[in-house]
Amino acid sequence: MAPVVEIKGLKKYFETPNGYLHAVDDISMKFEKGTTMGVVGESGCGKSTLGRTIIHLQESTDGQILFEGQDVTHVNKRQLSKLRRNMQIIFQDPFSSLNPRMTVEDTLKEALLLSNDTNKKSLDQEIIRLMDMVGIARRLRMAYPHEMDGGRRQRVGMGRALAMNPKFIVCDEPVSALDVSIQAQVLNLLQDLQDEYGLTYMFVTHDLSVVRHISNEISVMYLGQLVETSPTDELFDHPMHPYTQALLSAIPSTDIFHKKERILLKGELTSPINPKPGCRFAARCPYATDACHEPQHLTDVGAGHSVACCRAKELNLAQA
Amino acid sequence: MSKEKDILLSVKDLVVEYTSDGEVVHAVNGVSFELERGKTLGLVGETGAGKTTIVKSIMQILPDPPAKVRNGEIIYDGSDVLKMSQEELQKLRGEKVAMVFQDPMSALNPVARIGNQIVEAILAHNDISRHEAEEEAMNMLEMVGIPRERFREYPHQFSGGMKQRVVIAIALACSPDLLLADEPTTALDVTIQAQVLDLIKNLNKEKNMSMIMVTHDLGIVAETCDHVAVVYAGEIIEYGTLEEIFANPAHPYTLGLFGALPNMTGRVKRLTPIVGMPPDPTKLPTGCHFHPRCPYATEECACGEIPIVSLGGTHQCKCCNIVLDTESEGN
Repeated sequence: MAPVVEIKGLKKYFETPNGYLHAVDDISMKFEKGTTMGVVGESGCGKSTLGRTIIHLQESTDGQILFEGQDVTHVNKRQLSKLRRNMQIIFQDPFSSLNPRMTVEDTLKEALLLSNDTNKKSLDQEIIRLMDMVGIARRLRMAYPHEMDGGRRQRVGMGRALAMNPKFIVCDEPVSALDVSIQAQVLNLLQDLQDEYGLTYMFVTHDLSVVRHISNEISVMYLGQLVETSPTDELFDHPMHPYTQALLSAIPSTDIFHKKERILLKGELTSPINPKPGCRFAARCPYATDACHEPQHLTDVGAGHSVACCRAKELNLAQA
Repeated sequence: MSKEKDILLSVKDLVVEYTSDGEVVHAVNGVSFELERGKTLGLVGETGAGKTTIVKSIMQILPDPPAKVRNGEIIYDGSDVLKMSQEELQKLRGEKVAMVFQDPMSALNPVARIGNQIVEAILAHNDISRHEAEEEAMNMLEMVGIPRERFREYPHQFSGGMKQRVVIAIALACSPDLLLADEPTTALDVTIQAQVLDLIKNLNKEKNMSMIMVTHDLGIVAETCDHVAVVYAGEIIEYGTLEEIFANPAHPYTLGLFGALPNMTGRVKRLTPIVGMPPDPTKLPTGCHFHPRCPYATEECACGEIPIVSLGGTHQCKCCNIVLDTESEGN
């Protein structure tokens, strides 16, 4: 069966006064039905842009987007509105992604009416069904966003996305604005909905413990490029790219009895505007050599694990 | 104990309220703790728990109105901060106690050069020439890992991590004895966060500075703190050394926080969230403020004063059902 969504060599460049900003640079990924692909990286690495480009919130510069095997890279308005019913997004900030002048009912109703197959009669039931689905108490039906806390607002955002009965949902940092106790509620809900409706998620986040919890597979991005992709446990057990290793070691651990060695990176992200060919991480990489200034390619190292680093094999043999 | 503890800061029974539209927000409700010289205390809790209000009252930088300290003492090095004159407070702030705020983007003046913002802090507390202050400021920049050549640049030319370093440089410019760090790395990426935490930790050790680290991240607490105070609805509900809290969390809320956290070492199928929402600080529940969300709550929890139970060492916990919890944990 074809993956729900597949991208091939996807690029998204933005024009800036100083040249082209390579936000998403030649990325290929497959999203299999009922699974969650976690996309991690630091701010500015292009992970949100990738999600937005896939669901056509912005036009791609180059490459292909396939939905259930069909090329949907270039679609007209009518095809797009059909596509949107299948591909939805949950935004990071539940404070700015809801219309402050619309009640829960208004927000859900608008989405339901756009999905066409809801008739006016069943609208009422549908609103209730959605509210139950995402766990918003029925008494909040007429509540405005400012009357609700972040967790509840995020649930409204989820209800709005689910109104279309989508198959694929981009979750763009859906829990990073929430406190841990509320975060756990929302993560559990996302998993329950996936189990029940066979949803496919692209889960964009900078929080590696969240991504480990929720994802089947993880892709690590650095300055617009994919540097490593692997099944979740394999990535955490055997990170191969020096950037992934540094990223994993940087997470503050709550395990006070097993202190881990931390890899401290020097410097910060370099500019993604007109980047030089070669590994974009090389400037901060403790292992960089001359060979790293040649273009790097994602290479399969077995067990579904791919890494874009010319020194990965040699380094990991040395570490093992 | 062989040696008298060297207490730098002691907060007793602090009560802070905000008044808005005739409603009273009970932000801090009787908080007491002590901080030894050279040690780091972590204040951990969720949004709205009152952590920031506690540290801001130590600096006396709460906006009054609407904020009002209703009760308590804040003894810094022998004198009560709450009874200090404006002049004494000016000397305290920056020189003895300094603060690093959460958001480095808004903590710096966007139209003033980075260097001048550090010089300003130095000149405010030291009787030296501008030239000497500039030299000192450049040294501070280097100490936080920014080349001195960038002295004349503006905040917008710096990245988030670098801005937070500048904020730290300003805070440390007068070698304070106490640093109040209010979520200093929340706005930063993990790799940059690691750099900044490392910097703070090293400076801490080097200068034998005390610190209060306000955070919602238990991982950061584990990496930086000696003691931990868990704050819920304006109260410290559990207190102890890092080992005491992380090895034997006793309060149901602390247990809940650990349970809600996605684990990095082993994977669990489902997280155990704390049910319900944090309480509305204008209408706090009676008795234990956590009881409506607590899986172990009994009738006793809903009324009266909740006792603070000592669990050996410095470990304290504010809960009626503590015996029950440790028992159930033991098997």
